[in-house]
Amino acid sequence: MSKKDTTSLSAVERIKRESHGLRGTINESLADAITGQVQEDDTQVVKFHGMYQQDDRDVREERARKKLENLYSFMIRLRLPGGVLTAEQWLATHHIAGEHSTGVIKITTRQTIQLHGILKSHIKPTIQSFNSARLDSIATCGDINRNVTSNALPSHSPLHQHVHAYADKISTLLMPKTRAYYEIWLDEELLEEKKDEADPLYEDRYLPRKFKIGIAIPPNNDVDVLTNDIGLIAITEGEVLKGFNIAIGGGLSFTHGNEATYPRLATVIGFCDTEEKTLKTVYEVLTVQRDFGNRSDRKQARLKYTVDRLGVEGFKTELEKRIGFKLDEAKPFSFTQRKDDFGWSQSKDGLWHYTAFVECGRITDEGSSSTKTALYEIAKLNKSSFRFTCNQNVIIADVKEVDKQTIDDLLGKYGVKQFTQTSSPIRLSSLACVAFNTCPLALAEAQRYIPSLITKIEPLLDKYDLTQDDIVLRMTGCPNGCGRSTAAEIGFVGTAYGIYNLHIGGDRLGLRLNKKFKENLNEEQILQTLDELFQVFAKEKTRNETFGDFSYHKWIASN
Amino acid sequence: MLAEARLQQLHAFVNTFSKEELVWVNGYLSGLLQNEHTSLKQKSNPTEVAIKKMTILYGTETGNAKKLGNSFAASAKKKGVSVKLTGLDQYRLTDLSKEEYLLVVISTQGEGEPPLAAKKFYDYIHQETISLSNLKYAVLGLGDTSYPLFCKAAEDVDIRLNKLGAQPILALQKCDVDYEADATSWLNELFTKLSKSSTDSIDKLVITERKISTKTYYEGKIINHINLNDNQSSKETYHIEISTDDQPPYQPGDAIGIYPSNKVEVVNKIIALSGIAASKKITTAKFTDSVEVLLTKHLSISYLSGTLVQKYASIIGAQIPDTRIDLLDLLRIYPVKNADQFEEVIKILNPHSPRLYSIASSPNAHSNEVHITVAKNTFEVNDEKRIGLCSDYLCEFQEGDSLNFYIHKNQSFKLPAADTDIIMIGPGTGVAPFRSFVAERDATGATGKNWLFFGDRNFTTDFLYQTEWQQYKTTGVLTKINLAWSRDTARKNYVQHELKKEAVEFIQWIDQGAHIYICGNKDPMSADVEATILDILSDHKNINREEAIQFLENLSEQGRYVKDVY
Repeated sequence: MSKKDTTSLSAVERIKRESHGLRGTINESLADAITGQVQEDDTQVVKFHGMYQQDDRDVREERARKKLENLYSFMIRLRLPGGVLTAEQWLATHHIAGEHSTGVIKITTRQTIQLHGILKSHIKPTIQSFNSARLDSIATCGDINRNVTSNALPSHSPLHQHVHAYADKISTLLMPKTRAYYEIWLDEELLEEKKDEADPLYEDRYLPRKFKIGIAIPPNNDVDVLTNDIGLIAITEGEVLKGFNIAIGGGLSFTHGNEATYPRLATVIGFCDTEEKTLKTVYEVLTVQRDFGNRSDRKQARLKYTVDRLGVEGFKTELEKRIGFKLDEAKPFSFTQRKDDFGWSQSKDGLWHYTAFVECGRITDEGSSSTKTALYEIAKLNKSSFRFTCNQNVIIADVKEVDKQTIDDLLGKYGVKQFTQTSSPIRLSSLACVAFNTCPLALAEAQRYIPSLITKIEPLLDKYDLTQDDIVLRMTGCPNGCGRSTAAEIGFVGTAYGIYNLHIGGDRLGLRLNKKFKENLNEEQILQTLDELFQVFAKEKTRNETFGDFSYHKWIASN
Repeated sequence: MLAEARLQQLHAFVNTFSKEELVWVNGYLSGLLQNEHTSLKQKSNPTEVAIKKMTILYGTETGNAKKLGNSFAASAKKKGVSVKLTGLDQYRLTDLSKEEYLLVVISTQGEGEPPLAAKKFYDYIHQETISLSNLKYAVLGLGDTSYPLFCKAAEDVDIRLNKLGAQPILALQKCDVDYEADATSWLNELFTKLSKSSTDSIDKLVITERKISTKTYYEGKIINHINLNDNQSSKETYHIEISTDDQPPYQPGDAIGIYPSNKVEVVNKIIALSGIAASKKITTAKFTDSVEVLLTKHLSISYLSGTLVQKYASIIGAQIPDTRIDLLDLLRIYPVKNADQFEEVIKILNPHSPRLYSIASSPNAHSNEVHITVAKNTFEVNDEKRIGLCSDYLCEFQEGDSLNFYIHKNQSFKLPAADTDIIMIGPGTGVAPFRSFVAERDATGATGKNWLFFGDRNFTTDFLYQTEWQQYKTTGVLTKINLAWSRDTARKNYVQHELKKEAVEFIQWIDQGAHIYICGNKDPMSADVEATILDILSDHKNINREEAIQFLENLSEQGRYVKDVY
């Protein structure tokens, strides 16, 4: 099997290779006081340090008239395998957000948190403050393994802690070896000898594209495991972890008008029974992708295209050659739920966990719930940890029976409980990416729009007595898929400002993608279409049939 | 009368003039004729000056008086007179009683005060009772007719020298901002008086009031009016582009003078409260116009002085505490009895004073345009937030509005030779002339290096002309830029802190002949910057404070250290 021809490398490939271990010219960029940007090549390099350069797209024109450059700032995303912070770390994050960012702490769709609006001159102090709280942002963006997600709620499984630990192990295993992050942001002395930096996994090329890994514990699929490049599905027997099914090649991003791009759910290719085998397999999937992935066309560079190009069996053959053993046959598993379980639940060890609804993952005091103050007050008690879900919610976790009431009172005092209890099922199951005003890729609004759109959809559901149906509705401002719209029962994908494609027919659990049903709808058309669909659904559905399954059979599969 | 060839020459020459220039030439020629044809006589028969030596002293703030002093000295030398030329700040006061012929060129600042550099001299002649009976002198004053106390300092010096026994050679010449023509004819007349052929005995001179040429006004239209600060900023700084039909004759470093107008709403309220007819024609000391026009265009009605308030009190026959107050408020609290009383009030009001704004454009880069940078000036009066009248007036302008302005020359604040390096220190609106400098150097391809120090409150909202500086940096015209933000970090960072950081390179630039310019607030900015420059000089040149001061004074003497501060 021949490796991919590398004669026509994409521009990003050159930048990676010439970056001197991801250093680029970041130090010069930081010292350049005349602009809030970093140099063009460095915009690629800083991603590997966990940040994106963005600008406030709402004010571009006005600032240009004022002879001011775009309002550049940076989004910094933490590396948080499995999405857990101690109370102390939450307090630190709260203060850092207030001092250096917009103040909003954003829970991402991949179980970590990110801060927006950090000016160039504030990046170093932000990273240094995070470092003091034993937090980093290494490799949370860029062509590299990113944050590893894992089932969030401890009460979901007695094996939760055991499985959850894999997130950290995998994250550590796949870290880049360069000391650039420490040198640039934490003023670590420059290494004279670069030999310690030799990186057998990433070499000087890193991966062809971003790489995501998630771990699910059936029957819960809160991590949307098949949307990852590698999905690990824990196989358990009673209270014993037997191993993991390995799924490869998930990824939802596509490009409007580019037929060669498509969303894809991961394919289960086998099973590993030990930790050593599992980690080895994960590692070598990355090396196959490193060596065979497309490095000339970034729109064909994700693992899913490599898998389809080599064929699942071809990929598996190459993988088994590298791991030195045959994968076992995949074990049966089934999912019954993808949404979060809100409210209190108790895990087998006796600890309590409260899952609170955070609309679009934005932790603020805006709106009816003072979530930010509530979490701050709870963190000050130091009687809990804070866990984040891939559905963009927060769990006040690991609370002892004796402290439960105090925390419950605070959740009530600041309106978090009420907000969680009174929000409609469709709102609770919804997801949205960031989009405007900071995401440079956004074609349409997402997190700023979806709350009001849901407010207009709720009466439609009410009209057909569907209010208690927790339909999974998701929105992304562009086809890149951060909001995982194509893995929803109702998915909106932005095409232009105020205009969305409507996708339907995905299942409720994340095992079947939806399909584009209508193109380029404005709000009025969206509401009219949904009204028609809900009417038919309410009339014709069988008992317990989900909207996703119904619409698939009714409108998608038949076409 | 003229020979055909001469007439053709004249036509050819006159055809190159703009209308404004012709008007000026017309006044200039009649001035020459009035002055006993002196200049004309000189052309055919140069006067021979009878005296051997003279002293020319200048008291300057913006450099105009110094420039005139220099040119007077050059003219005198050509006539074989040996000249001692010195600034009033450098002059040994005890020499005064030994002088025989003395020329004083002095400007007037603010409320009729002498320039800072002339203060010592001014106080000396007013406080000492020296005898100057051997002295023959002449004084030329520079000022602006827009101010009530026009050329007051020159007047004071003229009167006082006379009082101390000195004999005037020529009457005091007061000059407006367009001073060149008046100054030239005055000097020529002076030489005539001092010539051997002069029939007048200096001792018998009859002093007569001299004529003053008026300044040229230009009409412009506002074509761009932009608040440069972003919306979240605590400041408002307006970039105003004024388009003119012809290129106004200015150079980078010059300023324009603008008269403010009062708000129509306020004027209407005043007219309603006073009961006077808006259309009634009234003649004040300076203007004759309708009440409405007088109150809107010509007279100052806000923040009246204590003296004026007391005059008002005596007109209406009331007791009013000594305070500064707006006319409208005054009328509300202490009403006039009738329209006639208010007519008297109108007559005591002071005319508007013009405000000067450094020009931010370059004649070569922005033809037929003048740009200025105006900060909306807010200040507190009795705990109430107020906005400066002229800045408010300008900030509220809209694109398409017209305004009149005149050019106020600033001779010392000029770009050096094209290959000389410059260091520009201009935080806030102080950056305006440096936008002009850099644009000019960009347009003319000047090879000297350009280093800017700019500062304001916040990087993201207050970086005035950011994208232009970026462009100049990219193309290389702007060699280096240092930025100081006072509210971005807990520790306030000002331009002087940036200077200190760059001390080594700063010294290198000076050693290589760079000129240093400071523009912006006098206090505390320019004082802090100067103190820092002195620190840097003593630290890096291993000299003490006095030597550093001397070093800077030398630079200043060479025109290499120039300030335009306010």
